[in-house]
Amino acid sequence: MSLLDDTRTLLDRAVAETRDPRLARARGRLDEPLRVAIAGKLKAGKSTLLNALIGEELAPTDAGECTRVVTWYADGPTYAVTSYLTDGNAEARPFTRRDGAVRIDLGRPSFQVERLEVRVPSARLRRHTLIDTPGIESLSADVSARTTAFLEAEGEHATQTDAVIYLLRHLHSGDVRFLEAFHGDDGAGTPVNAIGVLSRADEIGGCRLDAMTAAERVADRYATDERLRKLCPVVVPVAGLLGAAGATLREGEFRVLAQVAELPMDDIVELLLTADRFAATGDERRRLVTRLGLFGVRLGTRLIREGHVTDAAGLAAALTENSGITRLREVLRTHIEGRAEVLKARSALAALDDCLPPGSPLVAEAERIRAGAHEFVELRLLHQLRSGRLPVADDRRAELDRLLGGAGSAPSERLGVPADDVVDAARTAQARWQRLAEHPLSARDFKAAARAAARTCEGILAGQNQQG
Amino acid sequence: MSTTAAGLSAQLAEARQFAVDAGRGDLAERLERASAALAERSDSVVAVVGEFKQGKSSLVNALLHTDLCPVDADVVTALPTILRFARPPAAFLISDGDRREPIEFAELPKHITGSDADPAPRAVEAGIDRRLLGAGLAVVDTPGVGGLDSAQGNLTLATLTTAGAALFVTDAAQELTAPEVDFLRRTRERCPRTFLVLTKTDLHVEWRRIASINEAHLKRAGLDVPIIGVSSFLRVRAHARDDTALNEESGFPRLVELLRREIVDADRSERIDSARAELGFVVAQLRDRLDAEESAADPRRAERYAERARRSAQLVTGTWQTVLGDGIQDLAADVDHDLRERLRLIIIRGEQLLAESDPRNTWQDFQAWAAREASRAAADNLMLLVARAEQLARDVADRFGMEAHDLSATLPAVGPAVHKARDLELDFQKSTMQQFLGAFTAARVAYGGFFVLGGVGALVGVAWAAPLGLLAGVAFGRRLVKAEKERQVQQRRHQAGQELRRYVDEVGFHVGRDSRESVRRTQRHLRDEFATRARELSRSAAAAEAAVRESVSLTGEQRRTRAATVAEQRRRLERLAP
Repeated sequence: MSLLDDTRTLLDRAVAETRDPRLARARGRLDEPLRVAIAGKLKAGKSTLLNALIGEELAPTDAGECTRVVTWYADGPTYAVTSYLTDGNAEARPFTRRDGAVRIDLGRPSFQVERLEVRVPSARLRRHTLIDTPGIESLSADVSARTTAFLEAEGEHATQTDAVIYLLRHLHSGDVRFLEAFHGDDGAGTPVNAIGVLSRADEIGGCRLDAMTAAERVADRYATDERLRKLCPVVVPVAGLLGAAGATLREGEFRVLAQVAELPMDDIVELLLTADRFAATGDERRRLVTRLGLFGVRLGTRLIREGHVTDAAGLAAALTENSGITRLREVLRTHIEGRAEVLKARSALAALDDCLPPGSPLVAEAERIRAGAHEFVELRLLHQLRSGRLPVADDRRAELDRLLGGAGSAPSERLGVPADDVVDAARTAQARWQRLAEHPLSARDFKAAARAAARTCEGILAGQNQQG
Repeated sequence: MSTTAAGLSAQLAEARQFAVDAGRGDLAERLERASAALAERSDSVVAVVGEFKQGKSSLVNALLHTDLCPVDADVVTALPTILRFARPPAAFLISDGDRREPIEFAELPKHITGSDADPAPRAVEAGIDRRLLGAGLAVVDTPGVGGLDSAQGNLTLATLTTAGAALFVTDAAQELTAPEVDFLRRTRERCPRTFLVLTKTDLHVEWRRIASINEAHLKRAGLDVPIIGVSSFLRVRAHARDDTALNEESGFPRLVELLRREIVDADRSERIDSARAELGFVVAQLRDRLDAEESAADPRRAERYAERARRSAQLVTGTWQTVLGDGIQDLAADVDHDLRERLRLIIIRGEQLLAESDPRNTWQDFQAWAAREASRAAADNLMLLVARAEQLARDVADRFGMEAHDLSATLPAVGPAVHKARDLELDFQKSTMQQFLGAFTAARVAYGGFFVLGGVGALVGVAWAAPLGLLAGVAFGRRLVKAEKERQVQQRRHQAGQELRRYVDEVGFHVGRDSRESVRRTQRHLRDEFATRARELSRSAAAAEAAVRESVSLTGEQRRTRAATVAEQRRRLERLAP
């Protein structure tokens, strides 16, 4: 029986015994998509990234601070907006769509609204629900506080999210504080469910055409920063504007760029010198530079001019490719969705701990699942490994991280070899880790980790045998 | 009255000659010092501050048409960089105690982005030949604030106490954040002339809206700070092509104009005011003798002049000395107590933090925390010292003014002396601070150099005892292992607590020594300043008395000639300080 099935059974029992609505919600959550929150300082580009990830211009974006209420975007049969109030009630709210963005009429002051839920028919949202949060370090203190409260979930509540995408523009001490707070001590959050995004990557280094390369360099440095590595081990540079525009590019916008590309080179240089100049030459262009950013306009013009793209679809694909959004999706898939079962089970078991008195048989059962499921063991070790609490030599660290599922949970990802070589590699790795686990000079904690690694290899081999 | 420095220095020279003729070498000396201070090239220091990656270095480079400050998508400024006027160009490395070591220009970027030289330098200075700098400006590019090492922010703030003005830099990518506004507020407290520069306007269509949003934020925070939008990129391009229109578009001309008007010119007129105050003081002293001669015919007045001369001798040891002595003692005690209290709180808070966690896991964060808190304590302590020193200087000046005024008040206002008495009253009562202290700035007196905080290093790494290993695992049961682990955590906490105390001790020693030194310097400066004046006043009183006695003994003819001379001299003085 799988981990998720065990957890379902346990939750069903708990709901039947206690009739606690919180447990019923936790049970329901097991069958829902994973919840991924997007957080970061104000104006880090959270809504833009959300639009880029969904591939639809849903969340309203603006030059000034914009998102002021925690908003959930989930898959649904039709577009619908529900407002959950702080007093516990919920009401359907009317909304309009301007340029695609869902503008919601709250009908009351925003502090009375706990969260909004926007239902959207979207295949992407079937895999994970995305949660847009207001920026931290905002000058509107209540806006900041709302996000922090929501994500930290203040003690007695189990966290409402399973994973977080954290946006940084540059690494500020505030970011680190936030991530630390999100991770808590060792309960709810761990560096195994956070992904760092170096956002607004197109603006790094002055929107020059090599911006993404520079951003890559910065992201690499962040990924090796010792403090940040403990908090979120991967940092992906993403140009959200490009990603969102790539997903929603219109034929008219392509034509505007194509016109610009036909101008003599000197005129193009002068025109694209500043965003102001480009915007001043027409409303269409102003809208375009607002949507694509100066980097997007410069890049698009060059791609068209040099003949790399000839139509709107081609340009859209090129923008998406340059935005880094594909890479982020990939990281999401391997790091978060690949671990969806264990993350969901963990949230559900945490809810159980919260709702029931310690020592009750149900809590003991939850503890048993936690201790017994190898997925949990892996997760815990991965956490210890990444927060530097496991005594592992540097050359083994990366291997162990990967083996425990740090880069994706498919066998070939864990072993770092092509699918055909999995069996051989698993056998060698199993023998090696077994040896390390039994070596008399290994430290105690390390022995446990090595045993778990060997067990992981055995699991892979067993899986391969079943298939074969 | 001439408003230019040239006109004023001519007046100073003339007054000096007058003083020499009158046999007042002491007053002549005072004027020489004033004249030298006026002519001296003293740069107005503008500090460029803000969070990192906002384009501070690019701004400085574009402003001064140079590429000395390294600019990169990732690498950041790690050392403050001072740019001032020099011909021929020269570069220096500045370390503790204002030691300056010449370096090659090519080495500058290496030092600015961080070097591992030991002892670590405090700043680099580059002298270059630029018109704006030549006008009397020095620009300091500071390391960004708000990074992982936020101790930097406190160090920058400490530096600001001695800067004349600050440019707070934020980019047009987004509105101000809460930490930025907080930093801006603390900047304003230390440096009233602060301006907000909105950079990267070329990249963002909506920069004007960001500017107005920021304006609203500042208004709400009660900060009156002008906002100037600039594009460093355009300025550089404009310079390369000699394109005036493009330069205009970059927004820099407004910034340059602001720097000239609000900082360079303002500082210059402050220097002129201070020199003029000295001139006024000297002229009043010289005029006093003429007044005495004119009223010599009245025996009652002669008596008064003699009385004043007797009493003025006591001014050197007057009650202002008591104010100064008591004040400096209070100040030293308060500053010292403040530092102790702050350090004590660091230890208490630090031990709480340690008790909540296992130092082996949190040591790095803890180090950063300790450095941040220590630098904040030092910076705030410095702020207190400067504020109190300024207050003390004002108190002493007030008391001194009062005593000096009492002296002259013993003279009955008769005849032509009436309006002079009013003049004196104006001089002594209106702005004693300006009158006696000129351009006194406590921060500059207290701290010789621009870089003030020494000794706030970092907590060193600690070698933790190896985690419980094999033997323990074999020898003890699970329960014992657990107990042993707990004991080891306790042990580590203890070790970390010790290390924290040692560090705080160290910081207390260095900062305490610096601040005691500053207190002494302040005391010496104020004592010398007022003692000199007291001697001058006393000599004037003696000279006046002598003049009275002398003129009594004159014959009728001699007296007439003398009267003509006095009238002539009075006219000369009138021209110098009406």
